[in-house]
Amino acid sequence: MKWFEIGGDPVLWTYTWLVAVLLGVAGSVLLILQYGFKKPMRSVWDTYRGWLFIVPIVFGALWLGRPATIVGLAIISTIAFKEFARATGIYSDWLYTLAVYVGIISTMLLTLAQDPRTGELGWYGLFMATPVYFVALLLTIPILMNKTKGQLQRVSLSMLGFIYLGWMFAHLGFLTNSGNFYGYILYLFFAVELNDIAAFMFGKLFGKHKLRSEVSPNKTIEGALGAIVVSMAMPLLFHFSFPHFGTLELILTGLIVGVGGQLGDLSISFIKRDVGVKDMGASIPGHGGILDRVDSLIFVAPLFFHMVRWFHGVH
Amino acid sequence: MSEWQYEPAPDLDRDLSERLRTFPRQPHLWMLLARSIAAILIRIWLRIYHRLLIEGDEHIPANTSCILVANHQSHLDAPALLSCFPLNRLHRVFPAAAADYFFGSIKTSAFTSIVINGLPFDRRAKGAESLSICRSLLDNPGNVLVIFPEGTRSLTGELGRFRSGIGRLVEGSSIPVVPCYIQGAFDAFPKGSRFPRPKRIRIRIGQAVTYDHLPCGRSTVQTIVKDLHARVLSLAPSN
Repeated sequence: MKWFEIGGDPVLWTYTWLVAVLLGVAGSVLLILQYGFKKPMRSVWDTYRGWLFIVPIVFGALWLGRPATIVGLAIISTIAFKEFARATGIYSDWLYTLAVYVGIISTMLLTLAQDPRTGELGWYGLFMATPVYFVALLLTIPILMNKTKGQLQRVSLSMLGFIYLGWMFAHLGFLTNSGNFYGYILYLFFAVELNDIAAFMFGKLFGKHKLRSEVSPNKTIEGALGAIVVSMAMPLLFHFSFPHFGTLELILTGLIVGVGGQLGDLSISFIKRDVGVKDMGASIPGHGGILDRVDSLIFVAPLFFHMVRWFHGVH
Repeated sequence: MSEWQYEPAPDLDRDLSERLRTFPRQPHLWMLLARSIAAILIRIWLRIYHRLLIEGDEHIPANTSCILVANHQSHLDAPALLSCFPLNRLHRVFPAAAADYFFGSIKTSAFTSIVINGLPFDRRAKGAESLSICRSLLDNPGNVLVIFPEGTRSLTGELGRFRSGIGRLVEGSSIPVVPCYIQGAFDAFPKGSRFPRPKRIRIRIGQAVTYDHLPCGRSTVQTIVKDLHARVLSLAPSN
């Protein structure tokens, strides 16, 4: 296993250029709007600055290769869980927090490790079984502590935290073991963000009917449909990311990103509303918490992973 | 089925620089870890380079809250006093640190909150507010507040006049106050010097004292301040 395998992949080059150009164009448009048309753009600039901060870090990790990407994902996953834990209150119970941290790190290590039976990268069998061991570990905590009051809530929240923010997110890490690593990962990053932006834009332009008034009052049916249309077209436009995909895979990819991405967004929304907070944190200026940024990706990652594995395997 | 009660962290929507300045701070695992590691390194430094000597640490109450009152000569004072406590109590010892000086920039506030565990004390306008934060801190049994009643580092090494805040904090409460005298920190690292010199630092800790038998009032505040000044001075080596 090589620790560093810097750059060189043509798909990585394409996406790096694409994102650089997009950032440049977006910056220029903002400049024109601000100085040419004198529009107040403060909050948009904050979000843009946030992107200038996120993009180099993400691409930096990708350019450093597989292990760096997995480590980067582990860090994001840990911070996302920390935000979830601080919002729900389980963070004050350090034993549970530590247990989930250990769970997240060991899951990521399993995506990095080699399967001892087959010698393939990523220990798939154990990786799929991690929730079993983790649930067993969590249920042991109240027994060891000899406590009962409020333990079911802590165990349940930690379980959701680990399985959703740790294990499901780690599927993205497992995708790095594929020969088409950059194509899959970069496509997901790009398509999920575009799906978010499309939902927002279509909602702004045509939005009339509320999608889920209780869960997220700003989202509209028109926005959601527009985003699905964009997401269905994306795999065709970006076919170079996975040239081996047939029509069925392309359709499924579009559906997974279009529907799954919005479900991911909405699931964090309902969690936030139940807990009673506006943002999950303030880690990225202009974007809220890290969890607010990666919510759709977490939902999409395992669905896409298992689709790919079913049709083409992950190695 | 009744609903679950969530307790979101109160500083959830604040960014790091604001979070470092707010008190009480929300505990963070990485912060506790960093503070413990820093404390071990600081202890090694103080023991070897400054040959730190601690006398009378048995006077510090073990399980109840208390206030440590000491003379202030140098930036080494707070780390040296922190070294009087076992590592497992480290995170419950809060030296009051001037908010305008130690919580000005993000760099100094990170250092003060992570390494020193400092409590941002406003020595100008909001003295009353800072005192009420101190009081609620001491309500939690086992917490320790470290106060330098002179309010600033001594320019001569002599013990200066005590400010009245300590008197207002203590009057009418049964919190034990532990007087301490730090000797040698002025020679080692006086105000304005850039790097500590290898001089010995010696801490003498006196008997804990309580003032709950005195009636509340302006004269009591002055009595307490004078009494504590005398107690700290009596621990100085010439006496």
